Amino acid sequence: MLPAAGEPAAGDSWGMLACLCTVLWHLPAVPALNRTGDPGPGPSIQKTYDLTRYLEHQLRSLAGTYLNYLGPPFNEPDFNPPRLGAETLPRATVNLEVWRSLNDRLRLTQNYEAYSHLLCYLRGLNRQAATAELRRSLAHFCTSLQGLLGSIAGVMAALGYPLPQPLPGTEPTWTPGPAHSDFLQKMDDFWLLKELQTWLWRSAKDFNRLKKKMQPPAAAVTLHLEAHGF
Amino acid sequence: MAVFAVFQTTFLLALLSLRTYESEVLSEPLPLTPESLKVSVNSTCQCLHLQWTVHSLAYHQELKMVFQIQISRFKTSNIIWVENYSTTVKRNQVLHWSWESELPLECAAHFIRMRSMVDDARIPKPGFWSNWSSWEEADAQNMLGHDPLFVFPKDKLVEEGSNVTICYVSRIHQDNISCYLEGVQIYGEQLDRSVSAFELKNVSFIREKGTNVFCKVDQGGVLGGIVLFVSKVLEEPKDFSCETQDLKTLTCTWDPGSDTGLTKQPSQSYTLFESFSGKKTLCKHRNWCDWQVAQDSQETYNFTLLAENYLRKRSVSILFNLTQRVHPMTPYNLLPKNVGATKATMTWKVHSIGNNSTLLCQLELLAEGKVIQQSNVSIKVNGEYLLSELEPDTEYVARVRCAYTNHFWKWSELISQKFNTAEAAPSEAPDVWRNLKMVSGHPTVSLFWKPLSKVHANGKILFYNVIVENLDKPSRFEVLSIPAPASSTELTLDQCSYQIHVTAHNSVGPSPASVIVVSGDPENEEVEKGRVNGTEDGFSVSWKPQSGDATGYVVEWCDGPQDLPCVLQWKNLGPNTTSTVISSGDFRPGVRYNFRIYGISTKRMAHLLEKKAGYLEELAPSDNPQVVMSKLTSHSFTLSWKDYSTESQPGFIQGYHVYLKPKAGEQCHPAFEKTVLPEDSVCCKYTIDNPEQKTFVVENLQPESVYEFIVTPYTSVGEGPLDAFTKVTTPDEYSHTLIHIILPMIFCILIVMIICYLKSQWLKEKCYPDSPNPYKSSVLSLIKSKENPHLTIMYVNDCVPDAIEVINKPEGSKIQFLGTRKSPTETEFTKPACLYLLPTEKNYSGPGPCICFENFTYNQAASDFASCGHFPVTPQAPPHQLGPLTSPENLLKALEQNYMNSLGEIPAGEANLNYVSQLASPTSGDKDSLPTNPPEPALCSEYKMQTAIPLGLASAPPSENSSLSSTTLLGQGEHCR
Repeated sequence: MLPAAGEPAAGDSWGMLACLCTVLWHLPAVPALNRTGDPGPGPSIQKTYDLTRYLEHQLRSLAGTYLNYLGPPFNEPDFNPPRLGAETLPRATVNLEVWRSLNDRLRLTQNYEAYSHLLCYLRGLNRQAATAELRRSLAHFCTSLQGLLGSIAGVMAALGYPLPQPLPGTEPTWTPGPAHSDFLQKMDDFWLLKELQTWLWRSAKDFNRLKKKMQPPAAAVTLHLEAHGF
Repeated sequence: MAVFAVFQTTFLLALLSLRTYESEVLSEPLPLTPESLKVSVNSTCQCLHLQWTVHSLAYHQELKMVFQIQISRFKTSNIIWVENYSTTVKRNQVLHWSWESELPLECAAHFIRMRSMVDDARIPKPGFWSNWSSWEEADAQNMLGHDPLFVFPKDKLVEEGSNVTICYVSRIHQDNISCYLEGVQIYGEQLDRSVSAFELKNVSFIREKGTNVFCKVDQGGVLGGIVLFVSKVLEEPKDFSCETQDLKTLTCTWDPGSDTGLTKQPSQSYTLFESFSGKKTLCKHRNWCDWQVAQDSQETYNFTLLAENYLRKRSVSILFNLTQRVHPMTPYNLLPKNVGATKATMTWKVHSIGNNSTLLCQLELLAEGKVIQQSNVSIKVNGEYLLSELEPDTEYVARVRCAYTNHFWKWSELISQKFNTAEAAPSEAPDVWRNLKMVSGHPTVSLFWKPLSKVHANGKILFYNVIVENLDKPSRFEVLSIPAPASSTELTLDQCSYQIHVTAHNSVGPSPASVIVVSGDPENEEVEKGRVNGTEDGFSVSWKPQSGDATGYVVEWCDGPQDLPCVLQWKNLGPNTTSTVISSGDFRPGVRYNFRIYGISTKRMAHLLEKKAGYLEELAPSDNPQVVMSKLTSHSFTLSWKDYSTESQPGFIQGYHVYLKPKAGEQCHPAFEKTVLPEDSVCCKYTIDNPEQKTFVVENLQPESVYEFIVTPYTSVGEGPLDAFTKVTTPDEYSHTLIHIILPMIFCILIVMIICYLKSQWLKEKCYPDSPNPYKSSVLSLIKSKENPHLTIMYVNDCVPDAIEVINKPEGSKIQFLGTRKSPTETEFTKPACLYLLPTEKNYSGPGPCICFENFTYNQAASDFASCGHFPVTPQAPPHQLGPLTSPENLLKALEQNYMNSLGEIPAGEANLNYVSQLASPTSGDKDSLPTNPPEPALCSEYKMQTAIPLGLASAPPSENSSLSSTTLLGQGEHCR
């Protein structure tokens, strides 16, 4: 469910960004991740995980603003339109058993491809936005999403997986044809934001799973004990 | 055969030509049916577009025709529109006609047919309609896809205030379809089984992204919608005007009004069109536009500003001459040059306009925000102006604006520059005054001066120079330099005269000197005193002109109340002035201000002329004096309030009111005036009209009466508060006399009592001796006087008694008493007891005749504890102690009391109610009761210790024993004489 109007303003996003930077700055000091020698993909996965959580927060604010910009019924909390024109959007929802059975490479590849498409669509959204404030917020989010894409690419590289190559002619476009009405366009925008939110949620799960998988048992115990410390 | 065929063709052609000719010439109306009717649908404008031809027309023939068009909706019989369309028709010409539908065309099938009629003037007969063309169907629903629900019109752009019809087409044929406008459900009309229409009236702008209208099947997940783009109405540009700053570029400005931009429609565009040159330019900004002036010296311009968006166009025009619209640019480089104390030159520059054109510039000089000078200067490029009559050390603001000289259109923007003039020496001497007083026996002069006003200071005053010149010793100077902002100094002088010069100095130089002469002699304070009246403007002080050579006057006063330190104020006045108004914002009502008027002699010496006191506004006294009452008699008392100061009151005290509340029913004394107090009580009032009379005797009072009084001062405004009356009670009339009698009497009695006390022994002996003393008896003197030596007095001590017989003399009552309580010893009372008397000397212990008292009371019990000892018989033993022992309780009490009294005398080991001496005679003792008593020597006379008998120890009823014993003792006491 997408958030309704009245979400935190953009100023909060900057605050969260500062917070994230602080977290990232101190990440090397976390005992579980600060191992001598080759750190492996662990830190990269942790960073990617943190970034997805940060983007989740940032999107909550952005989506509230954008859906208000679209107007009712798109900003109503229980609005759930049919997915008419948004079939080209990469779907984040997947059967749980299928999701569990994914191997690391496939998991990362799906993430990478999904965000590549979503980023492209999001940039199209930015071009259509009428207000400067909204364009600024969207551009900021696109930059962050680009960062996430780079982070996923980094994890894949650390694990030795090649990046998926886009097939020629399959570059996603977000230019509605003449038959594509403005109402359908608004529904597509709605689905884009919703799918993006679902993907960020799924990515957090993905990277959390990867993180646990990559951590040595001792470090896990350490973290476990620290958690009990609270 | 061929010939026949040719003939037949020729005939037919001839026949056709003939028919055509007939129709032309004879004007025979022909049925010209529209043909090739085609209908197309334009969804964007919701238009039906018709096109047809009329083939029946002759070549080159033009006819004016009317086409009647019918439009049906849903079915051919449902005709919703009929319109006659007139036009001129040529042969084979394709005719066009459009019709805009209110209902979106996608929601319903439309059917169109038409017929025609010749409506040409050249055909005189009235025409007749041709046959109808066949119905043509325009069904946009065929173009729809397979979605279950459609809403139309898609993405329609309308103006605010329009009416819009929305419809939906449902393929699922369900009734539970709801439609919403911006989330609010709307209700419409069902046109068909699957089509409903909703009319939105007077739609308004909501957002740039459009107004959302959507329909959905309830609980079906089917949803369709449109975005209705409502644009604000394009306004006509307001305040359209053009001007140039340099005759090269025209700048046109306007107020664009509201922005009509939507995501579906860009903001309105503005185009500037000049009719004389025929040029136009598309403006890049929504409220201004630049137009390059052509080189061909075009002077007159006719501009039209056209605003347009997708829905509307608005335009506005102006016509003007270029040279009459010159608005020069703001001057620049405005700078002060050669700034002196009173003059400054301002220079500035302007941007040139064309060739050899001049500008009229206006230079304004402002001081403290107000324009004080204004000058107009005509310049070409460089401007310069000399400002004079400036004040030294003053901040000024110069500002310049310019206008085109040839034709004034507008002033340019202002340019301002701040500058300060230079300082100059102070132009006036400081206003100096002095105050003379004696400090430790030395005349001390306090010098005060007022800071120079800004006008006269001409700069920042740095210090004051005080030059003290001894007039009696001309060579003696003393120079003091007092840094600003001090405004006073103190000089200790001697008895000489001094001339004091005070000058104020700034960075440029000194001011003229202010000269004052003071003398060490004390001032003459004995001058005329008067009063001044305060008004709203202040105090109007006047004085008598000083005959002689007064060069001026000075009025001196203190701003604050008398009880506060004086802030000395003064005012200089000319020699011909004899009155002035002293005003100050510090003056307060109810405060006495004292003014001293001095005359200034030609020698600059000040002499006190008069003293004045006054109030800005007199008030009623706020406090009453502390009154002391004295000399209270039964008819009068005296009131006194000598400590009351009349000087420090909120008004001139004119006198006092003495209020006396009389006794109820008592009339006021004639000197008093009857008055009614605010609380409606009657009072007697006496008015003292002399403020210095501070005592008053209240007389003619009634004795033993309660009076209440109060003394309150009064001013011209009113009297003090009547709130705290003091009560006084007059004393009794005779009490005074009685006191004079009773006191001496009491004194005398006291004296007598004291004397009696001191001589009590003597009196006792004289008047009532304890026992007659023959030696002191007057008989002796009588005897002696008779000189009879043989007569003497016998002393008792000299007598040696032989025996005393004690006779028991029973009394009737006692016998009766005893008879009622028989005791074992009763019978023994009848026998006379034989007693042996001891000598009366103290410490007698030698053998002699013994007196043996046998107290039967103690026969049994007391003897158990008896021990023998020698106790002297004291003749002073008071017999009365024994008297009341008539009951066991009394006995015990007496015993205890005696015991307590004798504890100090009796040895501790014998502290057991040792009392009445009783000789225990072993011989005459009761042998039965004391079988264990040791035998005692017969000759030893002893007192047997008598012990109180505890009740429990007594074998006999203690009451009886005690009573008996008491009786016995009493009897013994009585009989031992």
